[in-house]
Amino acid sequence: MIVPADPPSLDPVIHAQARLRVTVTLSVLNSGDRITFPRLQQLLGMTAGNLSTHLRKLEEAGYVAVTKAHRRRTPVTYVALTRSGRRAFVDYTAALRALLGPTPPSRLRDIVEPLPALAEAEVAAPAPSRPRSRPHTGAPVTTHPGRGRILGAGS
Amino acid sequence: MPRDGLPVDDGHRGGTRPASLGDNRPLSPRTSLDLIRAQGGDAASRLWVDPAPILAGWGLAWVVGFGALYLASTRHPLVTGWDWVAVLLAVLVMAAAVSVRQTWWRGRGVAGPSRQTEAMYAWAAVLGLGSAFGVDLGLTHQGLPATLAPLLWPASALVVVGLLYLTAGIVWRDRVQYGLGVWTLVTGAASTSAGVPGNFAVLALAGGGGLLVAASLAHARTRRRRGAGRPA
Repeated sequence: MIVPADPPSLDPVIHAQARLRVTVTLSVLNSGDRITFPRLQQLLGMTAGNLSTHLRKLEEAGYVAVTKAHRRRTPVTYVALTRSGRRAFVDYTAALRALLGPTPPSRLRDIVEPLPALAEAEVAAPAPSRPRSRPHTGAPVTTHPGRGRILGAGS
Repeated sequence: MPRDGLPVDDGHRGGTRPASLGDNRPLSPRTSLDLIRAQGGDAASRLWVDPAPILAGWGLAWVVGFGALYLASTRHPLVTGWDWVAVLLAVLVMAAAVSVRQTWWRGRGVAGPSRQTEAMYAWAAVLGLGSAFGVDLGLTHQGLPATLAPLLWPASALVVVGLLYLTAGIVWRDRVQYGLGVWTLVTGAASTSAGVPGNFAVLALAGGGGLLVAASLAHARTRRRRGAGRPA
């Protein structure tokens, strides 16, 4: 079966299983925090080579910052989501939810609670109720960067 | 039926385990959202500090430690000699080990403002308790009656600990720990009115009990947050 191409609204950099898992794990960190490469690798259960490949793609898109530091003369590689990476993840989640229609509030809470990036966006702009479902027009789903609005179903 | 031209949901919602998914399989929006939830919950449960085991550890330490102290201080002691010191030390070491495992161990590999806050909080505990014991030592040195020392030492520690829980409640916006702080401050002040050895019973039951109640509240909250919508 030929898999149709993703609509442009779902960011192709994030919309791949391995990179989505990396992005989600990094978005669990509070803004400003960063994590060492080995610990990230341990949390994800990925090989170092595989993780490096995906991090490079995320870094090229400007979503991830990889910094090298020295701790007691040992080189340490830190990884963190950039501001635009967090933004892209918030928008990606908003696009997913727009495609899927209303999400039950309890389920929504499960998704948002471990992820400070999403939780902050929700606090910044709690979404008012929105039409229950959106008729399929064939047009790409638009998101609203900068509005901080990700949770359409209301909670 | 495919929605919006995207691949059909491949039915992963029944049990999305983050590590079980291959790297390059195309994602449907539903699978993506399930993956976000599963991976987010998994990472949070391994990275974030869960206060419940910490509070339970200290609660147990207070019940057993102050309980042993009480039983050793009554007119007909049930715990003899210095056994209570060994008991107290053992439970304190156990509680401290649980705290370290939850905070330092879980946060390993993470750097930044969150870790800085945790480190400053840990130092606040060390400095606060150190200062309180410094005051106690100074007063003892200045001739504080030996009968008052067993009242002063634990009560002064409880004032510091109570303030530390209040601070934790403020910093991490945690009502359970804030409430525990209030309760601990009241318990510490009340313990001195009970006299010796009644104060040890107050510390074991009200102090340790308060910690255990807070631990169960925190545990219920964690379960509610992590377990409620998990795929069955």
